[in-house]
Amino acid sequence: MSAKALKAWYRVHKWTSLVCTLFLLLLCLTGLPLIFTEEIDVLTGATVEPSEAAPGAPAVGIDRLVEDARQRRPGDKVLYVSRDLDAPAWFVGLGKSTSTPDPSAVFKYDAHSGAMIQDIPQRQGLMFTIRALHVDLFAGLPGTLFIGAVGLFFLVSMVSGIVLYAPFMRKLTFGTVRAAKAPRVRWLDLHNLLGIATAAWLLVVAVTGVINTLTLPLLGLWQSTELADMTQAWRGRPPPSTLSSAQRATETARQAAPGMDVAFVAFPGTVFTTSHHYMVFMRGDTALTSRLLKPVMIDAETGTLTDSRSLPWYLTVILLSQPLHFGDYGGMPLKIIWALFDLVAIGVLGSGLYLWLARRRTSIETQLAELEGLAS
Amino acid sequence: MSTARIWKWPLVLAALTVFGLLAALLGQDALWWALSWATLAAPLAVIVICVRRS
Repeated sequence: MSAKALKAWYRVHKWTSLVCTLFLLLLCLTGLPLIFTEEIDVLTGATVEPSEAAPGAPAVGIDRLVEDARQRRPGDKVLYVSRDLDAPAWFVGLGKSTSTPDPSAVFKYDAHSGAMIQDIPQRQGLMFTIRALHVDLFAGLPGTLFIGAVGLFFLVSMVSGIVLYAPFMRKLTFGTVRAAKAPRVRWLDLHNLLGIATAAWLLVVAVTGVINTLTLPLLGLWQSTELADMTQAWRGRPPPSTLSSAQRATETARQAAPGMDVAFVAFPGTVFTTSHHYMVFMRGDTALTSRLLKPVMIDAETGTLTDSRSLPWYLTVILLSQPLHFGDYGGMPLKIIWALFDLVAIGVLGSGLYLWLARRRTSIETQLAELEGLAS
Repeated sequence: MSTARIWKWPLVLAALTVFGLLAALLGQDALWWALSWATLAAPLAVIVICVRRS
């Protein structure tokens, strides 16, 4: 690499890192507990699990749960019914109006007894705060997009860091940490080792994180294109005076998507459907396909099938980015590995910050020559 | 040091990481999960070895 190119890459690495380092430290620190959200919720009692049911015990239909939820909050509208991924339980979300994105209440039901087992607190608690600091800095969509931009700076910083790795390692064997040398040299070696050893993980988590920040805009795109196309014939039609059975809608959807199971049911009038339809989102039963969703549109007046399509590629990309960012798809060992990588990432950021704070007013060429002199 | 020597270990670790990330996502049984844990632990183990050696 020419001296000029080296200098340019070094400058790119320095400035993109400086822009994003403090925010990335926040993301790494808040991300650490978020890896263990489920476990923390169970430990702190924030999650109530349904009681063990006898094998083969029949499940109650979701109509009963919806009716119960309506009676608990007569002024509210049912937004969705969704299924717990890990336990035989359903959630019913209600809102002040059907168009709201934020539920006013979410009730958890035992899928076998039909009993309401938890009124899940909304927008409060320590994990809510940690999640908000990680996802949107309490600033809604602009906050999320800002974090996406931080992620883009991090990606440029990663790429430039990888490019710089070669000239810095020209005279060193892999993994050298020169412990006897000046602290600055030791930290540089550590920065290079931690960064390059975890580079693939860092890139994957950064790319999937940036993709996840685009969830809302891409859902909006789907709504205004494909969903609008699916629902065109019903535009302007009044909502049905009485809704057909949601349970029957799920049964019709199961027939329309064989081999798949219900993930969630969007109720008529909410953002994922029309005022005239249930949208039943079905998911597969393998590790991979359980992450993917297929919407099935059911007429909420007659209970019959209206349409069913696969999600567009960009929503599939979002759904696949989620596990690769969260690390929640390989049991507890994978979560622990995720946490360890996260700690290494904090090490990369911390050592990078140290190197900048302890910098000397010498040119990059002088420093590089000095480092190589030390090595040889 | 030659380019190949510089990039050998970083590329091996990156390949193991990518394999591990995909194994748990695409694999259907416990074996794939175990492979995923083992390959993803490799970069972490290499860091520990290099730091302890110094």
